[in-house]
Amino acid sequence: MVKNITIFTTTTCAYCPMVKKYLGAKGLSYDEVNLDTNPERQQEALAISGALTVPVTVITKQDDTQEVVVGYNLAKLAPAVA
Amino acid sequence: MSETTDIPKHDVIIIGAGPAALSAAIYTTREDIDTLLFERAVPGGLAAVTDWVDNYPGFPEGIAGLELGTNLQKQAERFGAVIELGEVLKLHDEGKWKRLETTSGDMLAKAVLIATGSDYKKIGVPGEAEYYARGVHYCATCDGAFYRGKRLVVVGGGNSAIQEAMFLTRFASHIDLLVRSTIKASDVLQKDLQKFVDEGKVTVHLGVVTDEIVGEAGAVTKVVGTQDGKKIDFPTDGVFVFVGLKPNSEFLEGSGIELDHIHLIKTDENLQTNMPGVFVAGDIRSGATMQIASAAGEGATAALKIREYLEGHAHPIQN
Ligand SMILES: Cc1cc2nc3c(=O)[nH]c(=O)nc-3n(C[C@H](O)[C@H](O)[C@H](O)COP(=O)(O)OP(=O)(O)OC[C@H]3O[C@@H](n4cnc5c(N)ncnc54)[C@H](O)[C@@H]3O)c2cc1C
Repeated sequence: MVKNITIFTTTTCAYCPMVKKYLGAKGLSYDEVNLDTNPERQQEALAISGALTVPVTVITKQDDTQEVVVGYNLAKLAPAVA
Repeated sequence: MSETTDIPKHDVIIIGAGPAALSAAIYTTREDIDTLLFERAVPGGLAAVTDWVDNYPGFPEGIAGLELGTNLQKQAERFGAVIELGEVLKLHDEGKWKRLETTSGDMLAKAVLIATGSDYKKIGVPGEAEYYARGVHYCATCDGAFYRGKRLVVVGGGNSAIQEAMFLTRFASHIDLLVRSTIKASDVLQKDLQKFVDEGKVTVHLGVVTDEIVGEAGAVTKVVGTQDGKKIDFPTDGVFVFVGLKPNSEFLEGSGIELDHIHLIKTDENLQTNMPGVFVAGDIRSGATMQIASAAGEGATAALKIREYLEGHAHPIQN
């Protein structure tokens, strides 16, 4: 079971709305961190994902384990939020 | 002929959901032709990952690529187009029906429109794969924001490279633009670029072959190139590569559909391939002019030709 979801995005990234739309369609709520308006959180996104890209979706489960999905990757995102 | 009774059937399946595909879908769905689109990445296609589009008719001030892509999608969906997020893996001719192997299983269509466009090409040098998304990037609108106040190298000299290099000046402190021969971008873009060169934001290096992307402790530190037979180091925090596009036609291997020498799909004057009932529109078509407006125009033309094809091919869908 999912406890919470955070998505790191930027304003111009085309894949970010896709992730948000997918989660929205599944009825899942999420917090969004836009790295254009919150540049101070870039290091955090990099540390979590190991990648200099967005979207980065961090799924925290009820047992506080985390899954990180880099990019718009339904093959990983779908099971992570199931 | 395979057993087709249980396989989902549609009048038209469109492969891709870029400008060509979505324009075609606006036409087919508006005429109540049952249409399913398959998209493996982002509806809006390459247009949606382009920062700004200045030459699409009807937008006097230009329009953000993402907004244009989203608008095209909304317009097609308004008339009933359904976009399935998935990939078409193979296409087979089974006479009246075309069978598509997809990530959602097999599907049948009376007519198929291939509008798969192209993807970014890699340079193919050491370090490129190793530092992918950790210093080597192919999408400025996706990853540019990570380079605020940093140095960048942009590799390429065509329209996309120049356009994306200018976009990246929003973030980067300085950009070295490595061009293998001469700049091939349009005069308008070259003029725009000159402003950034004059401001000292961009330095253009012509005749540079990119040899290697080098890093330390997991981060890119420099690009090594050769100019006039001499090795040159370009210190940088990241590299954006725009060295052209690779046609998305691999899935047609073995289908019998004819491609040209650069793997674009050949069509007749009706935008139909050598496989009757399979049409092509947009960047993936041999002879395409690789513009959003022309992709949209071809999408509309293909939709009308598909309608004609279906009218001459009317047979009830058998479930
Ligand atoms: C950086 C850049 C800047 C540009 N700027 C401009 C500009 O300012 N003005 C302009 O007119 N043009 C511009 N272009 C060109 C323009 O983007 C293309 O001409 C246009 O997007 C082509 O549309 P299309 O529908 O043919 O293909 P695409 O936009 O490439 O869309 C094809 C879609 O098909 C999908 N797909 C591919 N294979 C499969 C498969 N097997 N299964 C399912 N889906 C699949 C892809 O994921 C993609 O979304 C630019 C291009 C780039 C790269």
